[in-house]
Amino acid sequence: MKNKEFDNILDECLERLLVKGETIEQCLASYPEQATELEPLLQTALAAKKISTIQPRPEFRARARYQFHSALREIKTRRGHRFFGWQPRWATAVAIVLILLLVGGGTVAAAGNSMPDGTLYPMKLATEQVRLKLTLSDLGKAQLYVNFADKRVLEIAHMAKEGKPEMVERTARRLDTHLAMIAYLVSAQEEAEMLMAPPPAKAPGPPDAGDKPVPPKQINRRAKLRLAVAHYAIQHPAALRAALNEAPESAQPALRRAIAISIAGYENTLKALD
Amino acid sequence: MQDEESLVRRAQQRDEGAFAQLYEGHFDKIYRYVTLRIGDRTEAEDLTQQVFVKALQSIPSFKWKGIPFSAWLFRIAHNQVVDYFRKKKKYATAPLNESLRGSDINPQLAVERKLDIEQLLSATKQLTEAQREVISLRFASELSIAQVARIMGKSEGAVKALQHSAIVALRKILSVA
Repeated sequence: MKNKEFDNILDECLERLLVKGETIEQCLASYPEQATELEPLLQTALAAKKISTIQPRPEFRARARYQFHSALREIKTRRGHRFFGWQPRWATAVAIVLILLLVGGGTVAAAGNSMPDGTLYPMKLATEQVRLKLTLSDLGKAQLYVNFADKRVLEIAHMAKEGKPEMVERTARRLDTHLAMIAYLVSAQEEAEMLMAPPPAKAPGPPDAGDKPVPPKQINRRAKLRLAVAHYAIQHPAALRAALNEAPESAQPALRRAIAISIAGYENTLKALD
Repeated sequence: MQDEESLVRRAQQRDEGAFAQLYEGHFDKIYRYVTLRIGDRTEAEDLTQQVFVKALQSIPSFKWKGIPFSAWLFRIAHNQVVDYFRKKKKYATAPLNESLRGSDINPQLAVERKLDIEQLLSATKQLTEAQREVISLRFASELSIAQVARIMGKSEGAVKALQHSAIVALRKILSVA
């Protein structure tokens, strides 16, 4: 029997076995002449089918989904700015002036120190969004997210000590987003560099021969960013662990989750920066 | 899942809901494919995320010319895996982690299944690159021969032959182990 014919029979039996749920015996009954050769292969295929039961960890699934949606929103924002790049920034600048006129600079400054349970806290978050919108570069935005992460950690510790687990959870989610965004922005900046690089030279050479050199200023900013992230990767979980001692029992589980988020988040962010 | 073509068109117009449906519909299959290709859970997680971010960035350039979206997505995954190996310059040999199991199965079954999957993953590492790709796409991601042929850029006949040789090789490896 020709190999091609056997390949077809094997494939047909695999479809019947793996997709239609038939048994090995049913397949063999259809091809009695090939049964001896088919049987061990179908048994192996049935064992290999177990590979399809591999599942992503639920934590990974949740984190990946979250990061995907963050990346989606970030891309949407950028595309929206493409045609009228100046307009949102002007609009934002006007909005800032209006806010300052309406509520006064002192109020905005006071909001900077507010905590998640404070009335001025939404203004603190809005100010952060404004700063992000006014920052053009990916690395600049990533640096801002590093600063925001620092604020979130202070807030989590404070809310935990106050015995407010819901606030701890909510702020920890914000911390998770900030860290995911740092990793995303760093990767996006790398992608942009790769896209900007000219195509490799025709003559064979080292793989990086055609790459456009990265400006030294960019390297410095990236190095500084990495330094800051590496510093906080140690300091933030430590600060949250220290808060455990002062937090009432009701807030401790939420605080522990926040610690886990900070550890995993910084680990990913550092990986993106390496 | 809704008609894939219309979902892709909506996703190209930055429709978040359409993106979410495409993402959810392919996430597990891509994860399994990557896991089987590289054999390391942590790296597979990172790579899976990269596949979807890459898809997000490149979807405006996707053209519907009879090639299914899944073939395009698996092509991105394939390129990410190739790139990973190029960077690593060696194949990962990390043992399979607990977390490759589902979380809602009874412990006895879990142990049995874990051992089986561990053996299988270890066995597939000994296959040729092309054989491993066929097993990953066919068994881990449960794609049809036609889909695998499109992704691998081979004829269906060639994929069937490769599938045959991969199962024979897998049987030999498992019987020795």
